[in-house]
Amino acid sequence: MTDKADVWQGTLALMVLKTLETMGSLHGYGIARRIEQTSGELLSVNYGTLYPALLKLEQEGFIASEWGVSDNNRKAKYYKLTRAGRKQLEKEAQDWQQTTAILARFLAPSEES
Amino acid sequence: MKTLRALFLRLGDLFHKERRDRELAEEIESHLQMHIEDNLRSGMTPQEARRQALIKLGGVESTKESYRDRRGLPLLETFIQDLHFGARMLRRNPSFTAVAVLTLALGIGANSAIFSVVNAVLLKPLPYENGERVITMQGQAPRAGIFNVPYSVPELMDIRAQNRSLDAVVEYHSMAFILLGRKEPERVLTGVVSWNFFDAFGVRPLLGRGFRSDDEQSGAPAVLILSYEYWIRSFGGDPTVVGKTFTMNDRLHTVVGVLPPLPQYPDENDVYMPTTACPFRSDPMMIADRTDRMVSLFGVTKPNISVGQAQADLNSVAANMQHAYPNVYPANLDISTRVASLRDEMTHNARPTMLVLLGAAAFVLLIACANVTNLNLARMVKRERELAVRTALGAGHGRLLRQLLTESFLLALAGAGVGLLFAENGLGLLVSYVARFTPRAREIHLDGTVLLFTLAVAVLVSVISGSISAIDTRARLAGNLKEGSQQSTIGLSRRRLRNALIVSQVTVSFLLLIGAGLMLRSFVKLQHVDPGFEPENVLTMRLNLNFTKYDTDNKRRAFYEALLDKLQGQPGVVSAALGMTFPLSGIDPMNNDFTIEGRDSAQSLPIADFRIVSPTYFQTLHIPILQGRVFTRQDRQDTPPVAIVNRTAARHFWGTQDPVGKRISTDKGKTWIQIVGVVGDVKQYGLDKDASDEIYVPLVDSPVMGASLVVKTSVEPMSIARRIIQQIYAIDPNQPAARVESLEQVRADSVSAPRLTANLLGLFALLALAIAAAGIGGVMALSVSQRTHEIGIRMAIGAWPREILRMVLGQGLVLTTLGLVLGLLGAFGVTRILRGLLFEVTPTDPLTFVGVGAVLAIAALSACYLPARRAARVNPTVALRCE
Repeated sequence: MTDKADVWQGTLALMVLKTLETMGSLHGYGIARRIEQTSGELLSVNYGTLYPALLKLEQEGFIASEWGVSDNNRKAKYYKLTRAGRKQLEKEAQDWQQTTAILARFLAPSEES
Repeated sequence: MKTLRALFLRLGDLFHKERRDRELAEEIESHLQMHIEDNLRSGMTPQEARRQALIKLGGVESTKESYRDRRGLPLLETFIQDLHFGARMLRRNPSFTAVAVLTLALGIGANSAIFSVVNAVLLKPLPYENGERVITMQGQAPRAGIFNVPYSVPELMDIRAQNRSLDAVVEYHSMAFILLGRKEPERVLTGVVSWNFFDAFGVRPLLGRGFRSDDEQSGAPAVLILSYEYWIRSFGGDPTVVGKTFTMNDRLHTVVGVLPPLPQYPDENDVYMPTTACPFRSDPMMIADRTDRMVSLFGVTKPNISVGQAQADLNSVAANMQHAYPNVYPANLDISTRVASLRDEMTHNARPTMLVLLGAAAFVLLIACANVTNLNLARMVKRERELAVRTALGAGHGRLLRQLLTESFLLALAGAGVGLLFAENGLGLLVSYVARFTPRAREIHLDGTVLLFTLAVAVLVSVISGSISAIDTRARLAGNLKEGSQQSTIGLSRRRLRNALIVSQVTVSFLLLIGAGLMLRSFVKLQHVDPGFEPENVLTMRLNLNFTKYDTDNKRRAFYEALLDKLQGQPGVVSAALGMTFPLSGIDPMNNDFTIEGRDSAQSLPIADFRIVSPTYFQTLHIPILQGRVFTRQDRQDTPPVAIVNRTAARHFWGTQDPVGKRISTDKGKTWIQIVGVVGDVKQYGLDKDASDEIYVPLVDSPVMGASLVVKTSVEPMSIARRIIQQIYAIDPNQPAARVESLEQVRADSVSAPRLTANLLGLFALLALAIAAAGIGGVMALSVSQRTHEIGIRMAIGAWPREILRMVLGQGLVLTTLGLVLGLLGAFGVTRILRGLLFEVTPTDPLTFVGVGAVLAIAALSACYLPARRAARVNPTVALRCE
């Protein structure tokens, strides 16, 4: 179980960070929904895996959390990006783009030749 | 950096567990509610909305679980959990816990205690700053059987001037002087040393100053440094003693310093003085005489010089001397210097015994370990269902292994704690025992190293015992949740494992018992050695005349004569005598070469111990006269000189001839000494040492400064000691007597080291025997209780109780015999290392082997008897119903 989560969490963390950058402060459910919507419903997040990922990011100091009240007057924990988180997002986004660019070249050799 | 931060946060989270749990529950609840609301909005029924939300979340509890795993430190948390659980399991099973902890405490305690000795004596560097660079030098002529010869002052000067490997060469000798200025005259053992003796070792005084080079100038005011022990014993640790003056040898001596509490080497002295303060050492005759050898030498090697290099260097110095003084060093004597590191010299006596004891302690631990493992296995049978349930609930094998290891770690830790208490209690005894082997004994403490060692042993024990039971358990756990598993699935392999452990316990106990048995036999033999004299009812004490007062032979003769006259006829005194030494006293005699009339002495080089005695010496100690006569009062300094030889010397030098009437000379024929008698051999150096060649000469001919008084009494010797000392004071109120002991005490002390070694090994062996017997009994009891059903069937179909008894006993006997056979094989190999410690007992002494085998077999069978009897009393109806 941990093996899968680790692979998954790498990308999940990036999505969480990006989501929080775009949306500002958001609660867990909101983040999950947003990721699904952004992915065009292609990605189906198992919401349960989101919370350990959020905890990890918080422990690493990339996001901060505080209790707040939702639109529907419901108590909820809100997460937002820290400054370290912004830097991390920048770095990871860059890494990711590089990786995908490299992989893209590998996967599409016929078009170039 | 961020992992570190995370680690701290996670560590912190261990502590607000409940608040964090509540927050997580709230967060997930709000998540679910929001999801449900969304689902309702999209038109689901309330049940469906909730169901979908839960599916999407992936289960509330598993989310929480993975969240928790991320939150705290799961490894640490489970460890703490395991500790809690383990402690609970151990508490719930108090008898098992008590037995296991006690067993381990004995095993671990024995090891901690012995290790504290080995660490202090053999492992730690010497407590002197330069300790590892100090070497000892001893003159020797191995071809003539001469060892441990001291040096003369001219030899010291040569070595000091000619060596190229040493930074410093310092001298030492020890004498007893009389110190006046306290309430009573006091005989003080005095180390006479070079001014830089303490600097060479790297010892700085605790109080005051050390010796300086001008203290050793001739004519310098006499100064003293007190040893720490003497300072505490005689001055109660009074710091104002520095600067006080005392009279010694008719001179005023000023105390300038006090030594720190370090082991003294080569002797435990009371005070130290520079060589110029010693009236003998500063005598110009002594300084000039190349053959007047009385000082020991120590050297400090130059950096990066090994003992071997120093040896080679000093060999060449010895060769130079031999070349320069051929008269003093006859070529056929082959005199050389033996160099050894101070560390070896200080510890080589202790090493073999200490290593044997360490081995014995390790054996005890091994047995304890096997026993606890067996207890654990027995307990596992009862816990098998618990473990199976836990496996079924999803505990991984690793998790179970961890749990079992934690439990055995708890046990071992408790055992180590109690064991340290045992060790702490026994340490005083152990120190006084080790002191018989090495001056380093006083460095023995339960220090940090010993604690670490103990902890390491505890960890080792828990890993061994825990993993054996865990691996065994794991092997049979898989899918083992069946009803009645207790009866049916105790597989053959577990029984085999338990039996193997029992066999190994018997084997190791056998080895230990053999070792102890051999030492004991050796000690008994030593006790029954005929010492050649009668130690019963003999009082001994040492006198050292004040040589400034008794500065001529005549004065000394007069004192000795007056003393013996005064004692003769005292109530309680049967006879009194004086001797330069007395048997087992540890006082070295003079060792001289001599000439036998009519023989070429240059070739045969006869050498013997010369002992100076008064006429009544032989009668007082009941040394048998074999031929001729003993000395009488008619043997005077002005009558022709006479001597008595012992039986060994008579045989050695005269063979079948009668030595009485033959003549010898100690001055190359200038004067001849007639042999007038032959007396029996006496164990002078130790009950285990053969007699050497000895020649007794009368005290009147050589009235020495230091003599020992021996008094045969008709009452308990110590009871009249005070009265005898009063008689000495009556002749000279400034003449102290020292080391007042009964000769029986002296004899007992001379064998106390082997006695204590035998006792200690015996204690270890008895521990081992008790633990092993308890182990066998326990395993048999378990086996009987597991086979109740089977035994019931046997009895139901007609087996007699006696047959059942025999069956169970037989099973125990098979295991014991197997262990004995293995032990026997092992013993032939192992006991060889004891050879050096044994006296007149071979390492394969048949009597010991048979005796120990019998003891062990009887102990094992007795241990099996109780469970066997219980088996024989099984009621078949009850047994068959007990399913």
